[in-house]
Amino acid sequence: MVFNINAVLPELILSAGILLIFFLDLIKERINLSILSLVGFIVCILSAISTFHVRYPASAFFNGFKVGSAELVAKMLIYLVTSLVFLALYDFYKRKGSEYGETVYIILTSALGLSFMLSSTNLAIIFVGLELSSISLYIAIALYRKNYFSKEGAYKYLVMGAVSTSMFAIGTAFVYLAIGTMNITSPQGFNPIISLGISFLIFALALKISSVPFHFWTPDAYAGAPTPVTAYVATVPKIGYYFLLAKLTLLLFPSFKEWYILVGVLAVITMFYGNITAYAQKSVKRLFAYSSIAHAGYFLTAFTSTDKFLMTSALFYVFVYSLATLGVFTILSILEKEEDWNNHFEEFKGLFYKRPFLAVNLALFLFALIGIPPMAMFVGKLGIFIGLVSKEMWILGFLFAVASLISAGYYLKLIVYMFLEKGEREVKAPVSVGEMLTLNTCSLLTLVFGIYPKPLFDIILRSI
Amino acid sequence: MENILTLMIFLPLVGALLIGIIRNPQASKIISLVFSFVTFLLSLVLLANFDFNKEGFQFVKKINWINSLGISYHVGIDGMALLLIVMTTFLFFCAFVWSWRIEDRVALYHALFLMLETACVGVFSALDFFLFYIFWEGMLIPMYFIIGFWGHERKVYAANKFFIYTFFGSLFLLLGLATIIVYGVVSKGVFTFDYITHLKYIDYPRWVELLAFLLFGIGFAVKVPMWPFHTWLPDAHVEAPTAGSMILAGVLLKMGTFGFVRYSLGLFPEASEFYIPLIFLLSVIAVIYAAMMAIAQTHIKRLIAYSSISHMGIVTLGTFALTEEGINGAIYMMIAHGLSSAALFMGAGFIYDRIHSYEIKNLGGLARYVPVFAVLFMISGLASIGLPGLAGFVAEFLVLLGTYKNHPVWAIIAGTGMILGAAYFLYMYKKVMLEEERISEAVREKWMKLRDVEIHHLIPFVMIIASAFLLGLYPYPFVKIIGHTSQLILGG
Repeated sequence: MVFNINAVLPELILSAGILLIFFLDLIKERINLSILSLVGFIVCILSAISTFHVRYPASAFFNGFKVGSAELVAKMLIYLVTSLVFLALYDFYKRKGSEYGETVYIILTSALGLSFMLSSTNLAIIFVGLELSSISLYIAIALYRKNYFSKEGAYKYLVMGAVSTSMFAIGTAFVYLAIGTMNITSPQGFNPIISLGISFLIFALALKISSVPFHFWTPDAYAGAPTPVTAYVATVPKIGYYFLLAKLTLLLFPSFKEWYILVGVLAVITMFYGNITAYAQKSVKRLFAYSSIAHAGYFLTAFTSTDKFLMTSALFYVFVYSLATLGVFTILSILEKEEDWNNHFEEFKGLFYKRPFLAVNLALFLFALIGIPPMAMFVGKLGIFIGLVSKEMWILGFLFAVASLISAGYYLKLIVYMFLEKGEREVKAPVSVGEMLTLNTCSLLTLVFGIYPKPLFDIILRSI
Repeated sequence: MENILTLMIFLPLVGALLIGIIRNPQASKIISLVFSFVTFLLSLVLLANFDFNKEGFQFVKKINWINSLGISYHVGIDGMALLLIVMTTFLFFCAFVWSWRIEDRVALYHALFLMLETACVGVFSALDFFLFYIFWEGMLIPMYFIIGFWGHERKVYAANKFFIYTFFGSLFLLLGLATIIVYGVVSKGVFTFDYITHLKYIDYPRWVELLAFLLFGIGFAVKVPMWPFHTWLPDAHVEAPTAGSMILAGVLLKMGTFGFVRYSLGLFPEASEFYIPLIFLLSVIAVIYAAMMAIAQTHIKRLIAYSSISHMGIVTLGTFALTEEGINGAIYMMIAHGLSSAALFMGAGFIYDRIHSYEIKNLGGLARYVPVFAVLFMISGLASIGLPGLAGFVAEFLVLLGTYKNHPVWAIIAGTGMILGAAYFLYMYKKVMLEEERISEAVREKWMKLRDVEIHHLIPFVMIIASAFLLGLYPYPFVKIIGHTSQLILGG
């Protein structure tokens, strides 16, 4: 069928939602941001539900658009996390006096781009989806009234992102040159040109997931963006990119025999650079930017092989990492509502005695990021260890262990500041209902998926 | 019956949640006393129902948990685990009684200790690697905060050091686990975290054993702690609050030695034999070096901490003697040391409560002012240095006997080290309790008003000393229970 309406159901709902919010925003006089983000939340939830009603495998638009189980799972996870972002968003903007209705539908557009990116095996369409999502991100970061740093971060991201765009484009061109089609269905025989193309594609995606040496935009964009948007940038697109990476690893990368060396080297330098540089940070927000770089390294280790178990572990890890990171940035955005809050370490001193709820939640997420059971990220880490050992990549597993040991130090530093030191500064920042919901959902799910990861793990394992 | 173990694991956690809900200082003290006492009673029920003529694990409960990863909720105990669990619940109860007078953030304190108890009981009863690892790591966070919140001057440093060292060991342990689990898939095609399946059905080739033994060994050695991974322990003990030190020395250190017996010996018999010289060397260094370090200390708690390292050296020595007496002695030592070191740390804590100093130079002649305490402290110390009639003696004797059988030279060297053990305690006792001339007239006046032990000090002291006597005078049933494990390991 040329136009299979069922196959594009989630995207259709998302697009309708975007248009609706766009119109609501036009008559903004009477409608405020909280209603818009509530609409955004509902749209995301509806799209997430609609993924259950898509009959797969299916295709639309002359096979340019394909959905299978993996795509649907990825989309569902993306919509769910996005909906949580919307809940935590409106109060921050209100108190900062930066109520742009655009923020809501720009974020939705980015999610739409991600779902298009995931629903195709055609590199050109993947490219379009990737760009739709990225350009939306640049705008979302810059939408922050009277804040210079957000513009700087967005500009940096834009310039670096353009490099990624061109690398992706040229990679696609080389792949096309080598195999005569942009449709990737299964690995082809060895060919020097396709190797070149694949290397470019890997670099382009490495930039998107902020792997070293393409990470320069990350700290500035994370620190400059309005924090709810940072929460989005650090989580949802990552889920999309890693699912894309999983698909490309299965379908395309093995054509380049040494691809795993390239990815492995990127992974190792990324995790060590991220973890070591994190120690030099004085701003907590930048610290989490570096922590996210380090995690990109951890995740990349899993894409050095076409092993499905390894990949499942990584994707599970990415999802629970997103939950924890969303929680962390939600806490930061709550705290930022304070006057002159700079996210400096000193300001976190004694947070436990002033805001025990926030401090305990943040500690939970920090321990999760270190990888302590029973938090969910431990399961991901364990899965990756087992997968790496079973593929006889001892060195990578060992380096992973060393890197995560290094990381424990800076996470602990923040815990020490919050719990074991005393600070004078009062913290009165109010917590809105939405933020409370997001925070509780994130911490609850981080624990639940740690104690009972079976359903999620099985779903991902069976889908890819 | 098979649910008792599960109940014991999660009862303290329920208590912690209850405290979190009620948040009343007085209520939280009562809740933790009640919950820890019930857990202790349950452990006695286990002891009464344990059939030590039956081979294998008992009170086993297995529930599927995460099928795709081959993980199940699987608990069960053998003789060693049984005794360690009884000791754990006993010491936790003692620690809660001891903490009756605590005033700083009471609810949080008790909740963290109850969480710690769950982790400790869990470690000893888990029969699934995943479950084991969760409990193993689960003890990290409560202990970190116990040291960090209620510690002394350098608490942050000590807490961080404790965390990083232990986490370092745990990561190696995790790599070791991954190795053997992958090997299970490679050789037999079974993807399972189940300990018993690995123990019975999977034979690892030599290189896997050698590698996995090292990875596991580093994880356990940090926790024991063996020389040269021991440096976190003195700091952690010096800074931890009294009850924290009791649990740290009494229970947490045993996790490492427990791991050696259960996992290293059980799973890697060949590698265990291969690494005997290395382990013996490290153990003997620990016994002698730590004892000498203890003599040189001026801080009571640091002294006791070094004595712990020395005693743990004896445990690892006995474990890797690979004779029945040696392993029996090692396990006996775990129990004996758990009791005696907890009592010694209570003594140190009592002195700090009264005098507000741990430094030997500020103390002297205390026996005149707190006579009851002086007696209790003396007995605890004698139990620790292994006076016949007390628990430590049986343990040291068995270890030396077991080691002497196969490795006489090592046994003789280690035996000399044990003599040093008597020296540091008696030296410390003499300075702190007896030498009255070292303190000034003004201090004496002040100390005339010192209160001797109160009821919440007395109960744990008497309970621990009584059990030390019991273990020392009538070791037969305990050796029998322990023999259940050593036969399991040497036979299988």
